[in-house]
Amino acid sequence: MINDFNYLKPGTLKEALAMYAEHEDCKVICGGQSLLIVMRQGMISPEYLLDIKHVKDLGYIKFDAKDGLRIGATTTHRAIEKSDVIKKIYPVMISMENKLASIQVRNWGTIGGNLAHADPAGDPGAVLIALKANIKIGNAKGERTVALEDFFVDYFETVMDHELVLEVHVPAPEPKTGAAYQKFNLLESDMGIVATAASVTLNDNGICKDVRVVLGNAGSTPIRVKRIEELLIGKAYDENLFAEAGKIASEDCEPVADIHGSEEHRRHILGVLTKRMLKQAWEEARG
Amino acid sequence: MEKRLLTLNVNGQDYELYINPKTLLVEAIRDHIGLTGTKRGCDTVSCGACTVMIDGMAIKSCSVLAMQAEGYQITTVEGLEVNGKLAPIQKAFIDNGSYQCGFCAPGMLMSAQALLNENKNPTEWEIREGIEGNICRCTGYNSIVRAIDGAAKGKYTEAKS
Amino acid sequence: MNKYTVINPHSKFTVLNTHVHNIDGVAKVTGRAEYTFDVKLPGMLYGKILRSPHPHAKILNIDYSRAMEIPGVYGVVTGKDTLGVKQGIWRRYKDLCDEQVLSVDKVRYIGEPIAAVAAITEEIAEKALDYIDVEYEVLPSVYEPLDAIKKEAPEIHEGVERNINVTRHIEWGEVEEAFGEAEYVREDWFKCGGQAHMCMETRAAVASYTPEGKLTVWTSTQSAYYHQALLAGVLGMREGDIRILAKYVGGGFGGKFELDGAQFCSAVLSKKLFRPVKIVFTREEDFIATKRRTPMFYYVRTGVKKDGTLCAREAKVFTNGGAYTGMGATALYLTGFFHSFPYRWKGYRYDGYRVYTNTLPSTSMRGFGAPQAMFCSEQQIEWIAADLGLDPIEMRRKNSHHEGYEVPGQATIASCGIDQCYDEIRKWIDSKGKLPANRAIGISACGFMSGGIFNWFDTPYSFSSAVVTINQDGTVELHVGAQEIGQGSNTTMAIICAEALGVKVGDIKVHSGDTDHCPADLGAWGSRQTLMTGNAVKMAAEDAKKQLLEFAYAQSGLNIVYDLDIKNGWVHAIARPERGEDFVQLVRKALRGKDGQRIVGRGYYTPHRKGMISPAYSYMLQGVEVEVDEETGKIKLCDSMTAHDCGQPINHLGLIGQLEGAFSMAAGYGYLEYMPFEDGKLMNPNLVDYKMIRATEMPPANIAEIDTYEPEGPYGAKEAGEGLTNPTAAAIGNALFHLFGIQMKECPIRPEMILNALKEKKEKEQEKKGKK
Repeated sequence: MINDFNYLKPGTLKEALAMYAEHEDCKVICGGQSLLIVMRQGMISPEYLLDIKHVKDLGYIKFDAKDGLRIGATTTHRAIEKSDVIKKIYPVMISMENKLASIQVRNWGTIGGNLAHADPAGDPGAVLIALKANIKIGNAKGERTVALEDFFVDYFETVMDHELVLEVHVPAPEPKTGAAYQKFNLLESDMGIVATAASVTLNDNGICKDVRVVLGNAGSTPIRVKRIEELLIGKAYDENLFAEAGKIASEDCEPVADIHGSEEHRRHILGVLTKRMLKQAWEEARG
Repeated sequence: MEKRLLTLNVNGQDYELYINPKTLLVEAIRDHIGLTGTKRGCDTVSCGACTVMIDGMAIKSCSVLAMQAEGYQITTVEGLEVNGKLAPIQKAFIDNGSYQCGFCAPGMLMSAQALLNENKNPTEWEIREGIEGNICRCTGYNSIVRAIDGAAKGKYTEAKS
Repeated sequence: MNKYTVINPHSKFTVLNTHVHNIDGVAKVTGRAEYTFDVKLPGMLYGKILRSPHPHAKILNIDYSRAMEIPGVYGVVTGKDTLGVKQGIWRRYKDLCDEQVLSVDKVRYIGEPIAAVAAITEEIAEKALDYIDVEYEVLPSVYEPLDAIKKEAPEIHEGVERNINVTRHIEWGEVEEAFGEAEYVREDWFKCGGQAHMCMETRAAVASYTPEGKLTVWTSTQSAYYHQALLAGVLGMREGDIRILAKYVGGGFGGKFELDGAQFCSAVLSKKLFRPVKIVFTREEDFIATKRRTPMFYYVRTGVKKDGTLCAREAKVFTNGGAYTGMGATALYLTGFFHSFPYRWKGYRYDGYRVYTNTLPSTSMRGFGAPQAMFCSEQQIEWIAADLGLDPIEMRRKNSHHEGYEVPGQATIASCGIDQCYDEIRKWIDSKGKLPANRAIGISACGFMSGGIFNWFDTPYSFSSAVVTINQDGTVELHVGAQEIGQGSNTTMAIICAEALGVKVGDIKVHSGDTDHCPADLGAWGSRQTLMTGNAVKMAAEDAKKQLLEFAYAQSGLNIVYDLDIKNGWVHAIARPERGEDFVQLVRKALRGKDGQRIVGRGYYTPHRKGMISPAYSYMLQGVEVEVDEETGKIKLCDSMTAHDCGQPINHLGLIGQLEGAFSMAAGYGYLEYMPFEDGKLMNPNLVDYKMIRATEMPPANIAEIDTYEPEGPYGAKEAGEGLTNPTAAAIGNALFHLFGIQMKECPIRPEMILNALKEKKEKEQEKKGKK
C-alpha cells in the first residue's frame, strides 16, 4: 500500500530544481520502475513526490568524438538500446541494456533513475564505471560532476545530498579498447545474482595499457577491483592471467548469501565471469 | 494529500478523473474508468498481466502513476478491436490457442502488439524477448510465439481471414 | 519452431480432433471475460485477512476494538464468529478434516488467517489490520518431516502421535522373493521440493449473503460443487441455499479446490454484515497462505536381473504435509502408485508417511504426487541401466505396461501406446546426431490417471452429469458441472456434444460454473473431466439424439433394418445419406409431437469396477536436450520431445496447449521453482525471487501424438495435460547424468548443486587416483 503523498509535476528542469529545493521530504520519481515497488512495500513514504519523467531538458543522447557520450537522466533504457551511436561506439552498453529487464521496464525506466536507485545489482552501474563514466548531479544551488565510481556509497545510497541526477557522461573510448559485461542469472533478463564488467585498452603492441574490472551485486556498491588492474597492466594476452584475475575478483568482493546462492557460490561465479569478460574485452580490443 | 484532476486518454477516449495522486495507472484504468480487461497478477512489476500500450509501447501499468500517463495515448486490450472486428493479433491468438485461463492474455496481447508496432518482421528470438516480461502459467508460451509469428507474416490480416 | 506429428491418426470424426477454436476465445482476447477478480457489486465491501506471524502459537486473545473505530471499517470477524468447524476435503474421514481456515485458538503456520476485516475500500481494510491486537503464546515449532516424526517433536495437532497425519501402504506380489530373484539391487535417497501453483489469478472471492438466507459466492475455483458443499458445512447452511459462480477462472493447477481464506472469510463477513464482500489475495498471500506441491523425501530400493528385467521395488516416502491435510492425503497415495509406473513389477511395496509440520500446508498440484515419484524413479532406472551397461530405452521398453496388463489388485490397462512412444523418442534422439560437448539428452517415462475413482468427498451424486437441451432453432444448451479453468473443458464438452449430436460446435452453448443451473460434478482435478464429464455429455447427447431419431424414423417410412444418423445437421439413413432432412426441421416436428416439450437428454458417469485408482491411464515419454555451463552450473533447455498417448484426442489445439504448458511447469519444477523456508517462513513469496520459465527459457516442444483407443473414455479419449508434468524433472536430471556422470538427488536442480556435484565427483576421482 503506497502512503499518501503530494505530487509535484515540474515542466522544466529549472522548475524541478526549484520545487525540489522547496521540499525537504521529497523523493524524485522518473520511470519509477523500482521506486514504486519500494513505496508499495511501505519502505519509502515521502511527503512529496517530484515527477521529472516529463522534464524535456533531461531527455537526450549526445555524442562527440572528443567529449564522448552524454546521456540525459530521463533517457529511457530503450532509447539507449536503440541509439545507433551507442551501438557503434559503446556496444557493451547495448548488450547490457538489452538484458537489463523486460521490454516494458526498459520502455519506461530511465538511466538516471536506475543510477539514483543505487541497487548494487543494477546493470548500468558496473558497466559505466568500467567505461570510466562520470555523473552530473545538482540542485538549485548548483551542479557538480563526480566519477560514477565515487557516486555509490552503500546499498541504495549515493553521494547525492538532496540533488538530482542530471546527466551521465562516458568519455570517448581510447583506440584499441574493448569492453564486456555479463551477469549470472537464471532467466534471460532477470536481475543478476552477480555480474562482471570489464574494459581493456591495449597499446600498439597488444600490451595492456589500461584495464578495469567492476563487479556487480558483489557488495554494497559496484566494486572496482584494483588488484586486477595492477596484475594486468603492462602484460600481454595470457589466459592464465585472466584466471588469476578471476581468483582476485572472487577474493576482493563482499557478496551476501541469499536464497539465490551462497557467498561461496557467488565468489566462484564472480571469478568465472571475470576470467571470461577479461578475455572477451581483450579480444575485442585487439579487433 | 491533495487530490488531482487529470485527463487520461484511453483507447481514443478522454476520461476526466479526480484521484489521489498515488493511484497507479492500472488502478485508474480498472477501478476508475472501469475497463477491467487489464489484469493484475503481482505487486512487483514482474508478471506483465497489467501491460498496456502507452504511445504504442508496452508498459506495465502497475509501474506507472496515473498522473504520469497524462498526455499519452493509452491502449488497453479493449482498444484492439474496431467496431467488433478483432485485430489480427487477437485472431492469431484464437487460431493458435495462445491462451488457456486467459488471465495473462490482455497483457500478453499488448506486448505482442507493441512488438509488432516496432518490428514488422521479428525473428523467433525477438518474439520471445518481446513477451518475456509477461508470465503465462498455462501455455508454455510456444503457441503465443506461433501466433505472433503468424500475425507478423500477415496470416490474419483482413484479406486473408 | 515445433514439430507436431500424429501416429495412427483416426479420421472417422466430423468435429472431434479437427481444428476447433476455443469457444471462449473471443471473450478472453478482448477483455470481456469477467473473472472473480473483476466482479464489482453494488454496496460491495473489501476484505483483508490478518495472518499469523508465528509458525506455531496459541491465540490467547484478539482485540479488534481499535480497528472498528477506523472510519470506513464495517466489521471484523475472528474464529469466534464461526462455527469453528474443522473441515477438509476428505469428508469421509473426520480425523483428516483438520482445518478451520479462520483459526479459533491455535495457529500452525505463518500466514494462517486469524481475523478478517471488511471496509469500504481495500486500503482501509488493510490499514485496519494494523489495529487488531492479538496476544499469542508462541509454541515450539518443527519444519521438516524427518524432525517432526521424532518422539520429542512438538505436537502440532492434538493427539496426533509423532505428527503422522496419514500413512499409506501399497503392496503386491511377494516382494522379498522378487528381490531374491534380482541380480543387482540399488538404493537411493531423494529429496523433492515443493512448488507453487502460481495461478495468474490469485485466490479471490466475492460473497453476498442476503436476508432471505441465501449466499452467492463468485470465486476462482476448480470445483464449484466442492465449494458449495464445503461452505455449507462450515457455515451450517444447506447446499441448496448456496450458489457458486465461476465462469472464468484464472488458473487452478490443483490449488483451487479446497476451501481457502478468501472464500471462507468473505462468506463469514458477508453473513455478519449482509453486504457483498470481496477478498482478493495479494501475490504474497497467494504464496504464503494457500497450499503447495508436496515436498517429499524418497527412499527407493530396486532389484533387477542383469538383463534388465525389473524384479522388485520398495519405496518409503516421508512427505512434508505442512500444517493441514488438504488434498495431501491423496497425493500420498498417488505418489506411491505412480512410482511403480509405467513398469511391471513382480513385487512392489510402498509405505508413505505424511507428516505435519509448522509450514505452509502441502496438497495436490498438477501431477498429484507423481512428479516427485518420477524424479526419483526415472533417474534411478537410468542409473541402473548405466550400472548394468544396458540401453536405457530398451530396458524401459521390455519392462513397460502393455494393453491388457493388470497392475496386481490395482488397475487393468485397457489401452497403452507406450511402445510407440519409445520409438518416437528414439527417432528424435537419432535425428539429433552428435551433440556439442556441453549438451546432453535425458529422457523419462511415465503414465498417469484419467480421473480418480475414489469418493472420500462422500458425494451422493454421480461423479459427472450433463444435460443436453435442444431449442426449436437447433441450438443446443449443454449444462455441465465440469469446471472450465483454462484447460478448455467447455470446448472439449462442446466438441463431444456436437460430435454425438451431429451438429456444429457453434450450435452448442455450454453452461458451467454455476451451481444453481448446472448439475453437480466433482470438478477439474486429477485429469477427470474429459473422461468422466465427457462420458456424461456423450450419453446426454446420445439420449437427446435417440429421442429425435425416433421421430425421424416414424416419419421416414424406412424399413426398420435401416440405421439413422445425424451429421453436420443432416438427419439421414446411413446407407442412403442423400435422403434425409434438416436437423432444425426435425427438431420443430419433434416439439410439436411432444406437445411442445423440449428435447432433453441426460447423461452421467460414475466409475465402477475399475480397480483402485482410475478408469484409464495415459502414457508418455519426455526427452529434453539440456545445455549446461560447467563452470557456473547454469542450465539451458535447448530442445524437447514429447511422445504421448492420450487415447483418441478430442481437441488437438487444446492437446498441444496442455502438453506444452505441462512441459513448462514441469521444467520449472526441475530446475527453477524453488521454495526455501527459514524458521517456517517462505523466503521468496514474490515473482522477483520465485523464478519461473518465461518465453525466453522455453525450448521448442516437439510432440508426437500416439493415438490409441481407450474403451472406457468418450470416443476412446483419456488423460492429457496433467501427466506430462511428471517426467521432465527426471529427464533434466538424466541429461546431467549423461553429460557429467553426476547424480542429482534433489530437485529443483539449482546451479550450485550441479557445481557441488561436479566438485564431489572430481574429489572422488582424485581420491581413487591417489589410492592407485
